[in-house]
Amino acid sequence: MQDDAPIFGFNAAREDIVRTVVSRVVLSTKDPLLALNDAAYHETKRLEASKRGPEEQKELAEWQRLARALGRMPDGERREKLASIVEHVGWDVAGNFDPRVFKVSSKLLPPIVTYLLAPRTLVRLARDPKQLVSLSALDDKVRVEGPVEELRELSRQGTAVYVPTHLSNMDSIVFGYALERAGLPPATYGAGKNLFTNPVLSFFMHNLGAYRVDRRIRHNLYKDVLKTYSCVLLERGYHSLFFPGGTRSRSGGVERRLKLGLMGTAIEAYARTLIANRERRVYFVPATINYLITLEAETLIADFLAEAGKGRFIIEDDESSRVGRVTAFMRKMFDMQGAVVIRFGKPIDPFGNMVDERCRSFDRRGREVDPASYVKDEGGRVTLDPVRDAQYTRELGDEICKAYLRDTVVLETHVVAAASFERLRRASPASDLFTVLRQRDVVVVPRDDLAKDVVKLRDRLVELADRGEIVVGGFLRTASGGDIVERALRAFAGYHASPVLASRPEGLAIMDTNLLFYYQNRLAAHGMAWDVIAPPGMPPARPPVFAKPAAQEAAQGGLS
Amino acid sequence: MTERQTPSVGVVGGGPWGQALATAARRTGAEVVLHSRRDQAGGLGAQLRSSERSPQASTADPGLHVTVDYAEVAKARLVVIAVPSSVARSVLRALGDYLGGQHLVVHGVRGLGVEGLETVSDLVREETPARRLGALGGPVQAGELIEGRPSAMVIGSRFPEVIAAATRAFQGPSLRVYGTNDLRGLEWASALVGCLSIGVGYAEEAGAGPGLLAALISRGVDEAARLMAAAGCEERTMLGLGGYGDLLASIALEDRPEVVLGKALARKVPLDQAITMAKLRVEAIPLIPRIVRFAEERRVDANTFRALSEILAGGRPQAMLDRMFAG
Repeated sequence: MQDDAPIFGFNAAREDIVRTVVSRVVLSTKDPLLALNDAAYHETKRLEASKRGPEEQKELAEWQRLARALGRMPDGERREKLASIVEHVGWDVAGNFDPRVFKVSSKLLPPIVTYLLAPRTLVRLARDPKQLVSLSALDDKVRVEGPVEELRELSRQGTAVYVPTHLSNMDSIVFGYALERAGLPPATYGAGKNLFTNPVLSFFMHNLGAYRVDRRIRHNLYKDVLKTYSCVLLERGYHSLFFPGGTRSRSGGVERRLKLGLMGTAIEAYARTLIANRERRVYFVPATINYLITLEAETLIADFLAEAGKGRFIIEDDESSRVGRVTAFMRKMFDMQGAVVIRFGKPIDPFGNMVDERCRSFDRRGREVDPASYVKDEGGRVTLDPVRDAQYTRELGDEICKAYLRDTVVLETHVVAAASFERLRRASPASDLFTVLRQRDVVVVPRDDLAKDVVKLRDRLVELADRGEIVVGGFLRTASGGDIVERALRAFAGYHASPVLASRPEGLAIMDTNLLFYYQNRLAAHGMAWDVIAPPGMPPARPPVFAKPAAQEAAQGGLS
Repeated sequence: MTERQTPSVGVVGGGPWGQALATAARRTGAEVVLHSRRDQAGGLGAQLRSSERSPQASTADPGLHVTVDYAEVAKARLVVIAVPSSVARSVLRALGDYLGGQHLVVHGVRGLGVEGLETVSDLVREETPARRLGALGGPVQAGELIEGRPSAMVIGSRFPEVIAAATRAFQGPSLRVYGTNDLRGLEWASALVGCLSIGVGYAEEAGAGPGLLAALISRGVDEAARLMAAAGCEERTMLGLGGYGDLLASIALEDRPEVVLGKALARKVPLDQAITMAKLRVEAIPLIPRIVRFAEERRVDANTFRALSEILAGGRPQAMLDRMFAG
């Protein structure tokens, strides 16, 4: 833990930061009438649609009054109104980082995470308080991989933007834990406002430097405040964390398209440090968070399918109560080694160049390049140019997606799901996703056959891994097909409400097709599983999985 | 040695296309530095100047500097690449030592990569630190640029400042420069037009009537547009100046290498001889089979391209008709 990390000075600077944000947003708003109208329109619409408490009633009335008055308001008054709204939003967004609380909470975090992950050990830990802060209980459950040494050095040289993949609401906690474990300073991030409603989570969110993002608010002024806030934080050297996928991956697949809005603030922040003559370089760290099982897998995939099937899909079961599920999930995690793997990728600058531990940029041929040269105009002056920066950020997004593929860590559940789902697909004459998914408890695969498929798939994955295109963990690399299947079964069983694969005398019955689809999707973008989840306008990854032997194909046809 | 102004445009490539672009940039008043491997003590510079049809043309042009040194080219912020695609990678790698993030790199190279279907701007990204990239395309011909006859050109880039810089460098009373932000689309369109031009030359020589020719062109363009969509480009780029426009221009030109090659093939001249007759390297020849493979992978109908591939392999005129009327 680095005590000199800028975030420890955050509370003192908070007021100053909010003030900077407010004045910047107000000054950059060219047409206050337009901005206020837009805000009033969206807020009225949102509040009218919500279940209103007295607080919302009041707010709604105020927006309605504003909307009516705007037209004949003199310009000066509009500016004042704008400033007061922006200030209100600014404070709402601003985090509440308190270094004193942080110090306590960073000591509290280990036992709390330990407790969350392993409630049964709490008694043991309480008896031996030294273990409370050791976190050693988690060392082999949650693995942290990647160029950690380099990142540690780098975090003293520049400002980090961590951009991990996003699967679960556990991600921010898990990632915060990974930073702590790696000896990296904490990062600020925008967390959904709903995470702040839970008082316990809220405590940690605030004190881990989170700022509040209310996804229900849709007007441009709010987005401007968020972006400006993020920019000002980076400018001042606060390491940040964004989930550039925008929301949790519904399909379970690795992100192939990113939301670039917040990421785009990094270049502006960097350019502003240049203009102010105190250059502070910004670098991005792509990372993947990989789960053996995902806490919200059922809900997420149901949501994905409802969207994909445009109503053809009917959600069959409700998820059970959250607390129970979280506990069950944690228990499972504690049972399985390497149940979560966080893998940091190689750092890159905002222009897609490699970065070394001293924060120097190098192009793809290894030549050193000055990052400032990318934000200079004809006359060699540093300029702020949102259109230019949006394009750099688009290309950066492509690089980050490539890094996601390279740093995806394949786990047993993904491979077993891909092998099972391939069986399922072959058993269905029409290769329509929904027909395939409907075959619950129809296909039974002899264990040995599934183990053989798993080995074949594993071998292809290892080939891919040896070319640096994916990561295959130690167990998966060397275990027998039977052992891989066993471990996946153990992971599924006892957490997911209904059985995923059920053991029968004649083999394994394929039960929860949705969940198998969810877990196989992790390999879809690599072409290692059926890829029906490519984003619109993007070709699906080539599906070579078991390919070829026509004879085998014909033999499989008999199943259907 | 006389003091020279900082050049505003650097051109890499001393062939006809590079010379033409250098001439066009000179005409707008830009200070131009031209890199040519073939330069022999300013011989190229003299040759270029004499091709200018203005009274001053015979006098030395202080605004055009020919060099064999990449460092000289890199003094310009806008660098235009005009070399054959086969040497693009090695040229870019060498040039890359002198470039930085401040450079705007625009290429006028027809063709898609040697290994896969990577575009030339993908190569620029791999081989140099430059990121503000663009490509030139459209119907303008080298001869028109040299002689200053009115014509039109397209600059594709996602960076408005690249479009602005290229427009400033080339647009004048005799050249209209259009901008598009579909860089990739423009690169694909240029390459696919090269392929289709062979087909047009072939069909003409094989005696196709106007109706058949029109059908061939329309279907070819339509297939090209769908291939481009599959490659992540905008279809309409193929239907615009950088696609259709470019194709119409190449049909009108008797000496366009692709057309010459197509005509020779229709006369049953073997491929290697036909290539010699076309004089220039025809980028489309290795590209066509790769496009056909791409179409198969992505399940895009590409019968025209398949027919072209058969023609290159020595197929008969009938093969083209069969493909066209298949299905």
